[in-house]
Amino acid sequence: MRLSWVRALPRGLWGSPGVPELCRSLCQRPARAPTERGDTAGTPKPRGPQRRHPTEGDTARGDTPRGDGDTARGDTPRGDGDTARGAASAWHRHFQEIRDKERGPEPRDHRRGHLGGDTSWGGTSRGDTFRDDTFKGDTSSSPPPHHRSHQHHDDSHQQDPRDGDPSEPGSPRRGPAAFEAALRAMERWPPGRGGRLALVEAALAAMEALGVERSVAAYNALLRLLPRGPWVPRGPVQRLLFPFPRQQECGLQLLEQMERYGVIPDAETRFLLLGVFGPRSRPLRKVQRMMFWLPRFRHLDPHPLPPQPTRPGLAAARLGLHRMAGDPGATVTVIQPPVPDTGDDEGSVQPYIVSSQSPEQRELLAQHDPARAVFVEGPFPLWLRGTLLKYFVLRGDPLPPHLRDPPPDPERSFYFPLELQLELERGPWDDEEFDVDEVEEGPVFALCVPGAGDRRTLARWISALQEQNPILGRAPVVFRLNEGGADPREGPQTPRLGTGTPPGAGLEPPEEGERGGEPRKNNGE
Amino acid sequence: MAAVPLSRASDGRQGGRATEPSKGTGGTAGVPSRARDRRHGGGAESSEGQTAWQERRAERGNGTAASRSHEGEQHHGRTEPQGGGGPAAAPSRASRHWGRAGVPGPTARGGRWGLPLKEEVFPYPEISNEELAEINEFVGPVEKFFNEEVDSKKIDQDAKIPPETLQGLKDLGLFGMQIPEEYGGLGLSNTMYARLGEITSLDGSIAVTLAAHQAIGLKGILIAGTEEQKAKYLPRLASGEHIAAFCLTEPGSGSDAASIQTRATLSEDGKHFLLNGSKVWISNGGLASIFTVFARTEVVDKDGQVKDKITAFIVERDFGGVTHGKPEDKLGIRGSNTCEVHFENTKVPIENVIGEVGGGFKVAMNILNSGRFSMGSASAGMIKKLIELTSEYACTRKQFNKKLSQFGLIQEKFCLMAVKAYVMESMAYLTAGMMDRPGFPDCSVEAAMVKVFSSEGAWACVSEALQILGGLGYMKDYPYERYLRDTRILLIFEGTNEILRMYIALTGMQHAGKILTEKIKAIKKGNMGVALGEFLTRLQDTLGRKVDLGLIGDRGVVHPSLQESAKKLEENVYYFGSTVRGLLSRFGKTIVEEQLVLKRVADVVINLYAMTAAISRASRSISIGLRNHDHEVLLTNIFCTEAYFKNNYAMAQLEKYADENLDDSIKKAAKQILEKRAYICSHPLDKTF
Repeated sequence: MRLSWVRALPRGLWGSPGVPELCRSLCQRPARAPTERGDTAGTPKPRGPQRRHPTEGDTARGDTPRGDGDTARGDTPRGDGDTARGAASAWHRHFQEIRDKERGPEPRDHRRGHLGGDTSWGGTSRGDTFRDDTFKGDTSSSPPPHHRSHQHHDDSHQQDPRDGDPSEPGSPRRGPAAFEAALRAMERWPPGRGGRLALVEAALAAMEALGVERSVAAYNALLRLLPRGPWVPRGPVQRLLFPFPRQQECGLQLLEQMERYGVIPDAETRFLLLGVFGPRSRPLRKVQRMMFWLPRFRHLDPHPLPPQPTRPGLAAARLGLHRMAGDPGATVTVIQPPVPDTGDDEGSVQPYIVSSQSPEQRELLAQHDPARAVFVEGPFPLWLRGTLLKYFVLRGDPLPPHLRDPPPDPERSFYFPLELQLELERGPWDDEEFDVDEVEEGPVFALCVPGAGDRRTLARWISALQEQNPILGRAPVVFRLNEGGADPREGPQTPRLGTGTPPGAGLEPPEEGERGGEPRKNNGE
Repeated sequence: MAAVPLSRASDGRQGGRATEPSKGTGGTAGVPSRARDRRHGGGAESSEGQTAWQERRAERGNGTAASRSHEGEQHHGRTEPQGGGGPAAAPSRASRHWGRAGVPGPTARGGRWGLPLKEEVFPYPEISNEELAEINEFVGPVEKFFNEEVDSKKIDQDAKIPPETLQGLKDLGLFGMQIPEEYGGLGLSNTMYARLGEITSLDGSIAVTLAAHQAIGLKGILIAGTEEQKAKYLPRLASGEHIAAFCLTEPGSGSDAASIQTRATLSEDGKHFLLNGSKVWISNGGLASIFTVFARTEVVDKDGQVKDKITAFIVERDFGGVTHGKPEDKLGIRGSNTCEVHFENTKVPIENVIGEVGGGFKVAMNILNSGRFSMGSASAGMIKKLIELTSEYACTRKQFNKKLSQFGLIQEKFCLMAVKAYVMESMAYLTAGMMDRPGFPDCSVEAAMVKVFSSEGAWACVSEALQILGGLGYMKDYPYERYLRDTRILLIFEGTNEILRMYIALTGMQHAGKILTEKIKAIKKGNMGVALGEFLTRLQDTLGRKVDLGLIGDRGVVHPSLQESAKKLEENVYYFGSTVRGLLSRFGKTIVEEQLVLKRVADVVINLYAMTAAISRASRSISIGLRNHDHEVLLTNIFCTEAYFKNNYAMAQLEKYADENLDDSIKKAAKQILEKRAYICSHPLDKTF
């Protein structure tokens, strides 16, 4: 359908300068473009599969002169023209070169300044506008599924952030610095054209791998890649007609990812979106809602986990035990370090054992009748965000009823009676109990997260416990291990939705093994 | 209808306005004649053995003894058919307590429990003229000594009582006040002991040193010691040559006997115990040479099982193996010596067991229970002194051309101090007087009430006194801050007030519960009289009735000037009875766990006892024409009116359920805090975005 007749309408009707944009945006809507990225299937996009629209570059280019003007008007604090980089122009390329040259000795521009990679990502250099919320407050979110599908969404990417195995733990390529480097690399492509949307989407997909998925500064940096002005609808009518859907989807996608990770947008995010999409656009509405709700949800979780996913190992084991044994008096001890410090096998690898026991549990165990057995049970799964731990419990059978409540000793309290001798019985009509099926459970004496679930390791745990609980030397210890059966990962996988989906509302942790290059778990060896 | 009181009704509402069937209105329908007879009998008994004046008053009150009543007595009268068959000590204590708290009444019970006849709270107990003269003889020199030779400031600063002061105290015989004369003590009665306590309390450190020595330290020997033990130890203790200490508290054991770790093992020859363990916070621990020590011993009980039980020992420092730590640095009562005491293989001869082996728990309880009553007079003495000091200041200092004493807010504070002092004095001497009656009546609940009331009153009064003085009171140059520091311990030692509240409330509940069960049994057996009486009183209650327990009126025991107060007391007593009943029917045995409920019960009981004591004393003062008795009446009326409203509030709360009277919310908030072991609210300056 040709809409060029619209041009014939009096300009004043459309709010003068907006008409060409309106036309373009109307024209853009039908899915004319080839869906290069069909592999994002499953993304519940209201507008069908994501695609890189060939007209996008045109849009940018067509608007470049005015876009520049907008940028100038658009009060950007970084005056270096970042925002106009959506335009593929000689000027852009020129700028890029200049910037790359200057980048050598010292960080020059603001983005460099706060992306400039050190550990204090996000807001050290510009503490006013950046609040480094991201490392504290996103407890309720769970990690999204892996954006594998995004990984090679555009073959012409010269440097995929993952290519160098960036997710390798401890890799210098992880983190803000790596993200910035990747961003820069992606910026370079295509050098002469826009393609900003694809760039942002690719960056979004790579964020988790680079470890910056919880940094609001990183999202702001992405937003800064988008051009200011050209996508702002002109006039109310254009705004009504879903202008720039493709571009707004991109903004929404970014916001959705922030939401998923519980990253609270800050004033700058809003400001950037305002510059890119204009007031009352869909991304702006969304960011306003997010700014309303996310802070309110931030402290919902009464038992927050650290924002960074913990990797299986000593630290995760400690964390898990602290979470399970709520008693603040409980002591978590490393019974066997993963690498022995001394001895013959110094430097070799052995399964670690981390154990937790509270004074109360010790007391309970001391009162345990050594004639009756104690049981080592497990492994039971414990998820810490995406990390699966296996733990074992040392427990006893439920006490027989006659031992459960010893009759109160009348000669116990020096000052006041501990019980009354009354014969006030309840009548049958005084039944105030609910019908509740109660499962009787025996006391749990200790918890442990070992590096390996084999009997030998557990026996070592028990013998270490014996130092403080001599009764374990006398009572029989029965191992009730369901070997191999308790690993939920070995069961059928729940089918996962694609990348755009918020991951199962955090009910189910994501699968571990899919993460590139990351060892699944170092137990079991 | 009969079914209703049979059980703890689940809705507990009926407890709310449920009433005592036993109404003091003598001729009320529904009060069986048996009860009335018994009450008359009791009243008659009560007049025996009283002084002439008392007889006169008792005569007047005789008829009323019948009509005034309290739930406890009345229930007994009605529902307890088997005469003197009740168990001996414990229930009697309980019943006496409720009788007292609920005003008059214990008379009716006298013979029935097989105990000696008990006097009543009306009239207020008196001492004979000879005794009065005797006590005044003591008071003079002691007062002089405290005014002239005791330098409290220095004692507080040095954290030590100088030896010459100690020697002076010994010379005055203050280390053996309650030790009988045949052992070289002064042999003072409880009343006289309380009187001297008023003066010794002028210095907190000395008061605590003396109390640790004789109120608890040597009390064990005095109460439960054998003749030999008494003859061996008491004379030297009385002279102050030896100082005693009471060693119960351990690092892991405060009021829980089960966690006492100190152990005494019998030697092989069976003649000695070897004592091992350590005790903390022992008053006089560094000075004492005689210790009353409680330790675990193995005892073979009836069924041949070996059990750990507590035994009390007299341990001399010379037995060896007794060491003590350095004196603790304390907030108040700094001059008193408090330290750890360690026993290491201390050889204690078997003759030094107090009571019997394994009977230490009872000994400890008796000692603790008997030591408390004097705190009332001691606090009162201190407050009286404070009133003198602060009124001097308030009447001289001028602000805005007005004396401080002309400001209403300052006047209010003086009134408060006077009222508290008056009431705690009344309670203390009433209790002491009751304890002095022949037959060793058990007044531990009353003593506990005195302790709770007076310690809290003292703390409030000292705090108000400091407020009157303003900045001056805060300065170390003046004695007031020392009073404040010294007073703080009163709320803590000799059983914390919280624990004593439990004791007061639970002892009462136990007694009230017995009465209720007996009545239920009677109804179950088909005693229609009881059931009918119950029904009628309830009916009357719903229709609204005038409470008249016989305190006032033509045959009343209270002076007409106190009519209003007495009426309030009667009303409170009456409705408290029904409240307690409601609580029992709602909670039954589990009321032990309901500490917030019990606290309110205890508060009401304490107030009732305080009102009773004040009314009784003021009544007596008017009747015999003591100086300034109109002031006493004023104070009594002030106190009773306030206490009446407090009681009503507490009882209104008691009739509500936990979700309405905030108990649930309180517990929930506390739980959330304790889970995190911190104050969990976010900082007011925190932000989320």
